[in-house]
Amino acid sequence: MIRPVLVRRDKVVPATQAVAFVVGIAAALVLGLILLWTSGHNPAEVYERMFDAAFVGTDSLARTLERATPLALTGLAVAVAGSMGLWNIGAEGQMMAGATIAAGVAMTADGLPGPLLIAVMVVCGVAGGMVLMLGPALARSHLGVSEIITTLMLVYVAIRVVEWLETGPWKDPESFGFAVIEPVPEQASLPGLFGRANIGTLIALGLLLVFSLAVSRTAWGYELRLAGSSPNTARYAGISLRRKVLTALLLSGGIAGLAGAVQLTGSATRLESGLSNGYGFAGIIVAALALMRPSGVAAAAFVFGAVQVGGQSIQTLGVSSAISDILQAMILFGALMAAVFFNYRIRWSGPAGQASSDDDQAEAGDDTMALEGT
Amino acid sequence: MSEAALVGLFVATVQFATLVFLAALGELIAERAGVLNLGVEGMMAMGAVSGFMVGLETGSPWAAFFAAAAVGALVGGLHALVSVLLGADQVVSGLALTIGGLGLAAYVGRNVVGERPETLFTDLGIAGLADIRWFGDIFFNQPPVVYLAVLLGLAVWFVLTRTRLGLALRAVGESAPTTDAVGHSVMALRAGAVMVGGAFAGAAGSFLSLYMAPGWTEGMVAGRGWIAVALVIFGAWRPGRLALGALLFGFTLALQPRLQSFDIELLGVQVNRISPALLGILPFVLTVVVLVIISWRYRHRPSPAPAALGLPYRREER
Repeated sequence: MIRPVLVRRDKVVPATQAVAFVVGIAAALVLGLILLWTSGHNPAEVYERMFDAAFVGTDSLARTLERATPLALTGLAVAVAGSMGLWNIGAEGQMMAGATIAAGVAMTADGLPGPLLIAVMVVCGVAGGMVLMLGPALARSHLGVSEIITTLMLVYVAIRVVEWLETGPWKDPESFGFAVIEPVPEQASLPGLFGRANIGTLIALGLLLVFSLAVSRTAWGYELRLAGSSPNTARYAGISLRRKVLTALLLSGGIAGLAGAVQLTGSATRLESGLSNGYGFAGIIVAALALMRPSGVAAAAFVFGAVQVGGQSIQTLGVSSAISDILQAMILFGALMAAVFFNYRIRWSGPAGQASSDDDQAEAGDDTMALEGT
Repeated sequence: MSEAALVGLFVATVQFATLVFLAALGELIAERAGVLNLGVEGMMAMGAVSGFMVGLETGSPWAAFFAAAAVGALVGGLHALVSVLLGADQVVSGLALTIGGLGLAAYVGRNVVGERPETLFTDLGIAGLADIRWFGDIFFNQPPVVYLAVLLGLAVWFVLTRTRLGLALRAVGESAPTTDAVGHSVMALRAGAVMVGGAFAGAAGSFLSLYMAPGWTEGMVAGRGWIAVALVIFGAWRPGRLALGALLFGFTLALQPRLQSFDIELLGVQVNRISPALLGILPFVLTVVVLVIISWRYRHRPSPAPAALGLPYRREER
């Protein structure tokens, strides 16, 4: 029997990940087309509506940026941990924790002038994200507990706590019985840019730039990447792995917390259990697509923002917005598969795993030669 | 607390334990073969919705159960394709499976939200035993899936520890190159393990939608898939300990909605006055605490995890 074997390419396709990303988008659109078609929708109409809603006109672009902002921040949060080989799956929860602390600050210090109040809220939001990350970070750095599951579990904790605050302690007395928290004070809203976009987008871009430089151009970033890729070398070089793990995870949690505070002062009006809205989970896909590089996070977050805005817009056509979740996951799957084929080629190998071309020839004749290439 | 409430608590404990045990058993199979699959939550959701829809259509809970298992295997197959055959990152692929699976389940089930199937799994009163006081209801008057889960647990234990297939599976989870050199197909073993694992998760999902909470709503899996992933660590990758862990987590999951009705005082706090939202964090906090305790216990010993867990294998690169 002749079996396909993946062999690493000598020459890698240029800009592999960018091309893989585009292939992923194309694959997702094709799959979405089949899904829409088989459930009786007109794919062309649906896609046109999605495109218009996300890109055509300044209002649409503003909406896309509004959505891309929390995605970029949570994506960055995941990427910071990811550049060290760690997985922060709980950005969703840290975002909630950040927003919760920020909302608490806004309630107690609502007399402060706007810019000052926003600054305090943002700083406290960062702290909130870090607090939720503290347990998983310490457990990982000192006991080696997988941060994947602990960070995720705390997502459910953070969301439930906000639900509790909504129904109990922080319930707005003027809400006519609805379980909602009072809106953040008016002066605590981030200045707008255009349409629904606000300067949160610029904050996210600025942070991406800072981290892009810090990770790739500073000794700190180098140590971080080294500790992730070759822990033994790092240890030999005198780098404390524990401290690196702690900093990377706490930073990651802090950035996700910041995403919560920015969301609260930006496009949200009040703290609610739906505030994180899946941004933290989508941020994982964003960071994975970006191969944990901040520059890629910006691009992936923008595309995902557009997909989400598009997903919202097609509800008026009677199409479920769940389509956008499927598209997002499929973009990642498509890109993952494409990346494999950009880095590897298929070679057909003989029965005993003999990979040398002589054996291939002997076993399978000339057909394999065409695929051999080299 | 009344006697009936206490029996009810333990009846529910066994059912919740079954739910997480089935899913975790599937994950255990995959992980013993060296493949981490973080897509359990998504596979369970797909199993829940597809089982429920087949149940609506056919009226047969068993047809639904096996259809859900087949769908789970298919969804798991995507993870096998991407992370085993193509060797992409298992964490990324698994997470994409969860996000995509939840999305697809929401999409597929959008028209059956709120419907109720006519036939569900019914409790199987085992003649003579079901009438025993307390124990009868808890152990001998449960839906058939509970007993099936016990049998499956025994079967998985037997196959893993007493058969050549099990030896090959465990070997590929410890060292793929060695297993390859012996002449087993690494890809077939791993892909098979992931798909069987997916079938277990899918079946668990249908137990949820056809018995425990009949119906389909978005987000009904509610983190139980993740608890199953954690349970494998708790069970030290062994079916027996997995069952014990499942009972512990099953108890917590069963306790949480019932605490509301218990008129007891704990540490000076009247339990039934705690908000249900706050009680809802119990299973998740427990998971974190349990994971920390386990790592603490293993801090001076080698981890019981399969040595090749999470490592893709490419023959050309060994």
